[in-house]
Amino acid sequence: MLRWIDERLGVAHWARKGLRKVFPDHWSFLLGEIALFCFIILVLTGTYLTLFYRPDAAPVIYDGPYEPLRGREMSAAFESVLRLSFEVRAGLVMRQIHHWAALVFVAAIVAHMVRVFFTGAFRKPREINWMVGVTLLVLAIGMGFTGYSLPDDLLSGTGLRIAYSAVISIPFVGPYLAFLVFGGEFPTEGIISRLFVLHVMLLPAVIIGLIGAHLGILWRQKHTQFAGKGRTERNVVGKSFWPQQFFKSFGLMLLTGAALALLGGLVQINAVWSYGPFDASAVSAPSQPDWYVGWLEGAIRLFPAFEPTIFGVTIPSMFIPAVVIPGIGFTVLALWPFIEQRVTKDRVMHNILDNPRDRPARSAIGVGGILYVTLLTIAGGNDVLALTFNVPIEAMVWFLRIGLFVIPVIGGFITYKVCKELQSSRARPSRRNKGTRLRRNTEGGFEEVPSDSQS
Amino acid sequence: MRPVRWVYASFVVSMLGSLGLVVYYLIGESAQVEGILLGLALGGMGVGVIGWATRLMDVPTVVEEHESLESDDSAVAQTEDMVGQDAVTRRTMLLRLATGATATLGAALAIPALSLGPRPGQSLEETKWTPGARIVDRFGSPQRPDDIPLDGIKTVFPSGFEGEADSQTVVIKIEPELLDLPEGREEWAPEGCVAFSKICTHAGCPVGLYRAEAKQLLCPCHQSTFDVTTGCTPVFGPAARALPQLPMEVDEAGFLVALSDFQEPVGPSFWNMETE
Amino acid sequence: MGATAIATALFLSGESTARDGYPIESAEIATMTQTEAVDGQELFETSCSTCHGVDGRGTDNGPSLEGVGEASAHFQLRTGRMPLANSGQAISKDPAFSDEQIEALVEYVGSFGDGPAIPEVDLADANLADGQALFIENCAACHGATGAGGAVGNEALAPSLSAGSEVEIAEAMITGPGQMPQFDFTDAQVNDIVNFVVYLREEPRPGGADIGGIGPVPEGFVAWLVGLGSLLLISRFIGSKRQSDTEDAA
Repeated sequence: MLRWIDERLGVAHWARKGLRKVFPDHWSFLLGEIALFCFIILVLTGTYLTLFYRPDAAPVIYDGPYEPLRGREMSAAFESVLRLSFEVRAGLVMRQIHHWAALVFVAAIVAHMVRVFFTGAFRKPREINWMVGVTLLVLAIGMGFTGYSLPDDLLSGTGLRIAYSAVISIPFVGPYLAFLVFGGEFPTEGIISRLFVLHVMLLPAVIIGLIGAHLGILWRQKHTQFAGKGRTERNVVGKSFWPQQFFKSFGLMLLTGAALALLGGLVQINAVWSYGPFDASAVSAPSQPDWYVGWLEGAIRLFPAFEPTIFGVTIPSMFIPAVVIPGIGFTVLALWPFIEQRVTKDRVMHNILDNPRDRPARSAIGVGGILYVTLLTIAGGNDVLALTFNVPIEAMVWFLRIGLFVIPVIGGFITYKVCKELQSSRARPSRRNKGTRLRRNTEGGFEEVPSDSQS
Repeated sequence: MRPVRWVYASFVVSMLGSLGLVVYYLIGESAQVEGILLGLALGGMGVGVIGWATRLMDVPTVVEEHESLESDDSAVAQTEDMVGQDAVTRRTMLLRLATGATATLGAALAIPALSLGPRPGQSLEETKWTPGARIVDRFGSPQRPDDIPLDGIKTVFPSGFEGEADSQTVVIKIEPELLDLPEGREEWAPEGCVAFSKICTHAGCPVGLYRAEAKQLLCPCHQSTFDVTTGCTPVFGPAARALPQLPMEVDEAGFLVALSDFQEPVGPSFWNMETE
Repeated sequence: MGATAIATALFLSGESTARDGYPIESAEIATMTQTEAVDGQELFETSCSTCHGVDGRGTDNGPSLEGVGEASAHFQLRTGRMPLANSGQAISKDPAFSDEQIEALVEYVGSFGDGPAIPEVDLADANLADGQALFIENCAACHGATGAGGAVGNEALAPSLSAGSEVEIAEAMITGPGQMPQFDFTDAQVNDIVNFVVYLREEPRPGGADIGGIGPVPEGFVAWLVGLGSLLLISRFIGSKRQSDTEDAA
């Protein structure tokens, strides 16, 4: 059969090159693949959902099996989600797999990004791929937000309201932009179908293109590898793509699907029937977005009531936490390879990865950044935590406001020290410093000797 | 070979799971069973494939040398020469005109985006409340002061606009002696009934949480807290602006009516809003 | 009289569990007056007047009970919220008094002015959909869409609605205990809401385990810990762990 194809496309030589390509074997290199597989599952389950979902805000009267909503007026979109959940065989499990896959998708992207960051895999020549990756992260968050807003339920509608207000808060262009994007004053009938187009067509197109670029660049530049015996900047040590790596990856894809299938069937998620259809004058508590928007929610909750008017222009209190801080944050993240280059003056090609302990400054900054975002995410759920741990909300807010600046600094500092310490330890000695060990001396005390000394 | 049997077995488990799913799909409805069967189908095969790859394949570690990524200097120079040919680069006037035309074409193609929505105009500064509008609940029933219990809260709308998002208002009754409203609002609160816009001035969520003893309204989204007795001034949280108060009076029939629209924009602040 | 003496003695002796000046331990009272006919006024004076005043008009420690009605007294005593165990929000616990004692106290407190009577709840004609709509509009902002409860700031908690009898739920809506506002519902609306709250307790969970019913926060935890966590473990199994695990280069 290969001959048949080759006679028409001339691919045999090229295919052999590809199948023979070597990939290194470390487990942490599989994190990006997990994200990719989650995306594939999202596309498959998502396609199924589009066959049943109606992106239509027109009101209908519900007449289905879920009794508490029978006779209620709701959008056709919401009604279609109820129908899918209660009247279509396997509809609910498909919907839940899709939503769990979305949560795990972004989690895997973050885990992958953290690995790339701490091992310095973003350095030359991979700066472009890093920026592609950060863009993919932002698009994934956008996909999640547009996706969970499609059912037009009370919880996600509240989130849309907040998004609308965030756009309005932009000085000079805010109100115009919000009216353009949403189609008028909140709530609008048009937003559901626009979110649908974004979620089903526009964003996936960009994501698929960027994933293609991400993998293509990786293929061309070859995967990085950790330092070790026989590994140099000019080779790749590992297993060939076919058969072992392919089989492992294929197996991982199946297992990712299995994990998501189990979650989708066994753990309830986004039970929109409990929230009911969106109503602009009602709200339920607690109100949170999905976890990957939690950092934004936390920033909005923690920011103090600061709303100055400068030269007649009011700067709404939402503007800085909802627009400025994320803008700065993602820009710094995207440009990190160049920021680090400027500081370290390191413009050499790197195909060997760093051991995080060998870069204490970068690791410290990384840990500080992770703590910062984690604290913001925790702040996004401060009322839930207040309820669970019986702590007053106000105390939590103040603790987090201060902790947001103190804890990342302390965490970074500790990381720095730990890295330095690990560099000189015996457990995983870096090549420069073999470490010391303690030896009992004749007086009964201890003394330090180099760890590779004989006595 | 012992280690091998589980690899074969897992493929069989997968097939059983898939067949089970096909059968169950036709006869049953539980999402839990569907998820477990699908999990077995996918997981069984996944375990089998990985077991095959890790235990049954004797694949050596390979070293692949590669040349430097960047092309050699002459190749780069040749490409540069190819791109920067005289036929293109020497025609500076044409290049400038072409650039100008592309930019203006871009603007022309982008301008229809303005049809995506109306201009804000005055809509952020106004609601459907008008002088004399009857205050009604969601079902359209007009409200008397007695219909609001002491320490009670009700969501109301202007008559004829029930459910209208920008006009949503809460009426709260508290003991009149506890009220400490800003100057000029003495006539706005008949019999201890005060009305405020329900749209939070921070991010627009309905401020639905009322702490009756503390006389404070709490917005559940970001925990902005407003003190009702002083005219819903913010006392905690990220909201910086008080909830606009709806001036009310009692008409001859004994019903609550609005004296006018809100005197400042409702909802989240924006850059050019007019506040008193 | 005897009850008062014993109560005072216990209070002064410090053997009781009086905290912050609050009334004596519940068990003591229950056994004390078992054999006597219950006098509501007397019971009130021993157990409640410290905070609510001898005439029920309130003191610095407790609000006036004028006009609260039988419904309020019944609610507070049946759910054990009163007597207050310590300062702060009154929370539901075992009732301090026996049924007869509660009945007597309710009658007595109900005589303070003109407050709401104990409501009669009849769920026979209740409409579940109307109940859901009313619940979302009026109750969900504090108690959550699934009645799981919530923190409402200033150390106040809107409790979970998984416990409490139908009458108690109705009484809470009518009397607005603590930070809860008072609501003006018709009898039909009260029945609808109570019916819905009862429904919430047994509502089927077709999607699987209900991890709290409060939405994305627990869902995010599960996604990271169970979802990504299991996949990380699998990855560690599939891939190699250290450089030394793979063989040397040829």
